[in-house]
Amino acid sequence: MKEFIEKIENSIKEIDSIHTSNLRNIFQDALKEIKNHHKIDNYIGDFPTFIEPVYLGDSVKIGDDVLLGPNVYIGNNCELGDYVELSNTIILDNVKLGNNFTLENCLVKTDSSLNFDILKEKNCLLIGQAESKENLKKISF
Amino acid sequence: MSDKEEREIGRIQELESTNLAREEIRDLVIETKKKVERDNDILAERINKEFVKNNIKSFDIVGSIGAGKTALLEKICEQISSKHRTLVICGDITTRVDADRIEKHNVETVQINTGRECALNAYHINQIIKNKDLFNYDVIFVENVGNLICPSEFILGTDKRITVVSITEGEWVIEKHPMLFKMSDIAIINKIDLLERLGTDIDKMISNAKNYNPKIEVITTSAKTGENINKLIEIMGL
Ligand SMILES: Nc1nc2c(ncn2[C@@H]2O[C@H](COP(=O)(O)OP(=O)(O)OP(=O)(O)O)[C@@H](O)[C@H]2O)c(=O)[nH]1
Ligand SMILES: [Mg+2]
Repeated sequence: MKEFIEKIENSIKEIDSIHTSNLRNIFQDALKEIKNHHKIDNYIGDFPTFIEPVYLGDSVKIGDDVLLGPNVYIGNNCELGDYVELSNTIILDNVKLGNNFTLENCLVKTDSSLNFDILKEKNCLLIGQAESKENLKKISF
Repeated sequence: MSDKEEREIGRIQELESTNLAREEIRDLVIETKKKVERDNDILAERINKEFVKNNIKSFDIVGSIGAGKTALLEKICEQISSKHRTLVICGDITTRVDADRIEKHNVETVQINTGRECALNAYHINQIIKNKDLFNYDVIFVENVGNLICPSEFILGTDKRITVVSITEGEWVIEKHPMLFKMSDIAIINKIDLLERLGTDIDKMISNAKNYNPKIEVITTSAKTGENINKLIEIMGL
């Protein structure tokens, strides 16, 4: 799994020079790889619903009424609010999501903090230290 | 609607008792409950269309905790896996125990861990099948979370629903749980290998099921000895 995640990280390092079709391919490859790394035994919080495969990194905090999967990767030290629903989505390390997020086919960059409630997105890369939806950077891929 | 109200509605929905709603939000709670149930049914209908379009035979296996749903599925898959490309979706509060047991019989499995929810719903099934190429399957089984109450609230879009109980639960178990039998196509009374020891009144169980639903097919089985498993497979049309 690690190599797949590193590939993604490298391809989005320079936000201004992201090659979206390339990103789409490595993202899809990484999603497919999750099924070989299903791991949900270690998290902090209420009991979410999991549809396998789901990979949870270390020290992941999960709010109430959360639905994860299928094909979800969550990196280390992430925090998900209440009513979050993720499918076919990769969340890199140290990310914080607010309440009531529905993400499908999304990628959230390392250290992003989406400090607001209610977001529904598909097929995009999300980046930022955002206190509202308006100052969130979004790149469709 | 404020955040607090929304949470309150969520909580009441989980408890499934409209009576607990404060006067001011009672209407809202009732409306929301109805909408959720309707949305589930619409989605289930769409799922069934997909199954039918792809020539897939589909079954939702519900039943009490430990009645033998997984054991029966193991026996069925053992028999049919060489003939039918089979997917089994297993619902449990936690663990992958059931999926692991069934996977040994050469079928593909997906485990859903529902956490706090006591039944699978059509949304769960839809999330799985929209990520699969249905062209690759002939048969789909869903093993629902074990209990005889919650699954009656949510249909899943399968062609048939099968309810499993076992004779260790006592001869009143069917009489006490009318809802599921009313909406099932097949009732399985399992663990009949233990009949001599337990002396359960099976005739009463059969007639209770028939009373609630005259169209239901009732079959007695043992997943342990394999008794009537072939007959069950035949009734299922596999
Ligand atoms: N004697 C006997 N034991 C059975 C039979 N079917 C299942 N068992 C046993 O009953 C126990 C529960 O069986 P499972 O197949 O796990 O039951 P289940 O309905 O899938 O249970 P949950 O998924 O936990 O709700 C196991 O120890 C089985 O070996 C049967 O026909 N006869
Ligand atoms: Mg089981």
